[in-house]
Amino acid sequence: MTAPSNAAMATARASAARHEPGVLLEAIDVEKSFGRTRALAGATFDLREGEIHALLGANGAGKSTLSKVVSGHIRADAGKLVHKGEPLYLRSTRDALSAGIAIVMQETTLAPDLSVLENIFLPELGTSGFLSRGKMRRRATAILEDLGQADVLSLDMEVAKLSAAQRQLVEIAKALALDAELIIFDEPTASLSAGEVERLFDVMARLKESGRSLIFVSHRLEEVLAITDRVTVMREGATVASGLETHSLTQAEIIRLMVGRELGAIYTEREVAPDAEGEPVVFEVRNIAAPPVVHDVSFAVRKGEILGLGGLVGAGRSETAEAIFGLRPKSGGEMWLAGKKVDFRKPAQAVRAGVGFVPEDRRVQNIVPDLSVKENLLLAHLGAHRGFGLGYGARQKKVDELLKLLDLPGHRLFDASMLNFSGGMQQKIIIARWLLLEPKVLILDEPTKGVDIGTRQAIYELLQKIAGEGVAVVVISSDFEELLGLSTRIVVISDGRSIADMASSALDEEKLTLLAAPRTSMRKNTAVLSALAADCGGAGFWALIDEDDLICLNSVVANPKAAPGFSSGEAKRFEETTIPKSLASRGQGFVTEADGSRSTLIVPIRSHRGHDFGWVGLTVPGGAEGYSAEEIRQRIESLNG
Amino acid sequence: MVEQTNTASGADRSQAGASSRNGFDMGAIVKRIFTRLEFRMLALALLIAVALSFASPYFLTQTNIFNILDQSVVIGLVAIGMTFVILTGGIDLSVGSVAGLTGIVLGLALQDYPIPVAILMAVLTGAGIGLVSGILVAYFGLAAFVVTLGVMAIGRSLAYILSGQTAISGIPSSLSDIVYTTILGIPANVFFLGVMYLLAWLYLTYTKGGRTIYAIGSNKEAARAAGLSVLFYSILPYVVSGAFSAVAITFSIAQILSADPLAGNLMELDAIAAVVIGGASLYGGRGSIIGTLIGVLIMVMIRNGLNLMGVSPFWQGSAIGSIIILALLVERLVSSRTDR
Repeated sequence: MTAPSNAAMATARASAARHEPGVLLEAIDVEKSFGRTRALAGATFDLREGEIHALLGANGAGKSTLSKVVSGHIRADAGKLVHKGEPLYLRSTRDALSAGIAIVMQETTLAPDLSVLENIFLPELGTSGFLSRGKMRRRATAILEDLGQADVLSLDMEVAKLSAAQRQLVEIAKALALDAELIIFDEPTASLSAGEVERLFDVMARLKESGRSLIFVSHRLEEVLAITDRVTVMREGATVASGLETHSLTQAEIIRLMVGRELGAIYTEREVAPDAEGEPVVFEVRNIAAPPVVHDVSFAVRKGEILGLGGLVGAGRSETAEAIFGLRPKSGGEMWLAGKKVDFRKPAQAVRAGVGFVPEDRRVQNIVPDLSVKENLLLAHLGAHRGFGLGYGARQKKVDELLKLLDLPGHRLFDASMLNFSGGMQQKIIIARWLLLEPKVLILDEPTKGVDIGTRQAIYELLQKIAGEGVAVVVISSDFEELLGLSTRIVVISDGRSIADMASSALDEEKLTLLAAPRTSMRKNTAVLSALAADCGGAGFWALIDEDDLICLNSVVANPKAAPGFSSGEAKRFEETTIPKSLASRGQGFVTEADGSRSTLIVPIRSHRGHDFGWVGLTVPGGAEGYSAEEIRQRIESLNG
Repeated sequence: MVEQTNTASGADRSQAGASSRNGFDMGAIVKRIFTRLEFRMLALALLIAVALSFASPYFLTQTNIFNILDQSVVIGLVAIGMTFVILTGGIDLSVGSVAGLTGIVLGLALQDYPIPVAILMAVLTGAGIGLVSGILVAYFGLAAFVVTLGVMAIGRSLAYILSGQTAISGIPSSLSDIVYTTILGIPANVFFLGVMYLLAWLYLTYTKGGRTIYAIGSNKEAARAAGLSVLFYSILPYVVSGAFSAVAITFSIAQILSADPLAGNLMELDAIAAVVIGGASLYGGRGSIIGTLIGVLIMVMIRNGLNLMGVSPFWQGSAIGSIIILALLVERLVSSRTDR
């Protein structure tokens, strides 16, 4: 490691002090075992003042354990912590807090029935003396203002009613109320939407500017590259790379350090996309509604196909899957399985009909902690089984097969609890639970959430394999890269509605993000398009346009003669539409098609930050005589953010 | 020499490996046994037995052992149903008053109907009350504690009303055959208790319903998502519990030939204590029927021993309460050390 020059200068200046100035906290050779499991085996890292430091590693690498050692949740077996040059002994989180170290964890530790204000000052309830509400309120307001979030959070709201992002904000405010100088963020973005992540990063940047040091624990490499100054990578409890400058690293280098081996292309499928076109539709869902979240979702999945359900967190994808599977009451919609109309009012019906579902939350919805690994593996079998006994024997052959597939030694089946396995292995066992039944349709909700990269690859291969065997697979994922790589087709769900159904080869991450974004502007857009189409006797549309194709986000047709040849959610090449010339030229005024049937005016739309929001067009029949292009252009430009 | 030692230990190791693969690794087996709560509780039961045999020479006589088993029958039967309920994460506070009420039903029915029919009526009454509790808890989502507390009050009140506030005597003495007949040299009631524990153990271990009950108590969401019949198997334990309360009181009435509306008072506490001593978690999912049997025996042995030692009944409550708490405390300390 090369010492940065300013640090070297600082060392010279303060040679009396034994620690390197600028270093807030050092962890040296920290070790920790839980029973026979070695969670930390020589973890070392140093945090400078005023930096954002990423702690990276695959699942089970020990990064969470190390964060908990630093935050006083766990006492290390060996090794030491040095804080501002002094050895630091933490017996409890209270010790850590008084040293100015706070942690913002995945599961927040807030009291749900208390207000935001009370939660921010919860640690002070442990101290004696009266609390002045007025003083607390002023202080909390000041903290939120410093974070630039005063408008996002009302101090009187009950925490139970807050979103995940708002709760996180309360946790941060709570840490600041204790004057924390070091804040650890453990997977803070796991349950946030894209917009919320940006807001969090804004908050983190402000914290850094105010001189605080942040530790950022995450799986998401893009985020690490975007926000951190330095990176420490851990593997199997030990530090494998300490304090590398982030700007000198690429994703590939980081992955190599995390995995310890060269990773092939994670998504091999992109090249050999299995063409399911000719295969029969196995499962079809039409207009499913399950208020309050799911309004109108339709999709169909073919035999041997992997269909992706894309969208942002909170778009209603999980709820859709739960409604299909009978875990959540439906208010409308129809389903066909292998050509037969079905309606699952409880999961048992779906299971027996040959539909499997792996819900999102492993610990809450999948694992039965008091049953053995074997019984967990056979749980769905038990759900499908009609006899009085267990009927495990009949499945033994398939169990042996699956063990081989999962790479799980047979004796581990008799482990009393699944909780001793890594998250990845737990997930594989849960998926195998359904494979055991040889389902026609398998729906998986975020199958790689909280799973390390190596196992992720194994899960992709597993899904591709079972699709190859003829299972219709539906994958829900918030990771667009994963969705694009894994699925043949993607149905995009936004605000509880399926808004697009496209071959993933026609999509990329950008397009998908654009499609998935819940559009508060959609209502306004529809209003403008409707008014224009009606006033001009034509058709209006909103589309994202590439070199020679487009994705239609919205369309209103008042006059069928002016129909542009595509509708909402469709992706088409220009020559497949009825207005190829206009789309290709996108001139200042109306462009009339070669056959003279339609004329179209197309205007670009931009956000206030200058991001491309696509194009809005108006098509009218025949030539465009009698229309004022300028006036229409102005009406469309009223949509600019 | 050194080399030889090395090869020898190498052979040892490979042998040990082979034997562990065949399941003959004694160390592992012993460890496995001791990590099982039932066995630790069995050890505790034996310890108590040894201590009491020193305290009273009469304790380990054959007569007294049969006494202990005889005294275990009523509470043991109730504890079976309680185990079912607690395994799902519920609780049944109504067992004592359901026993009282079904005892009165039995007493009244015996005045008009033959014994088997009367017993069936009592058992069906118990099961029916359990069904109502179960539906209120599992379908309507009410708290088990509150529902069964309500049923407890209703049951006791109905027992008084139906009996006309007095014990019903004039029970046909042939009813006592179910206690005093011997089967294979064992009193019929003890034999019946053994058979019921065997059946309950088989059910909870080797049937879909049994495993579903465990799964519901351990993680209801996951059980539902796997397609298990969560509603049905959440109700069933209350039905089983109600039925066993009736069966238990039948054996009690057969001994005293009188049906008292006050019978079964505070029985729920003994039953819950036995189940918990047997290692079940009140959060559900954890526990076993064998553990419950050991818990019952511990309770009855202590009471019996204290009687033999002439301890005043007023002090017995304190003694039993302390021993229960102490046993659980020791267990918690031991298990937290062996588990992790």
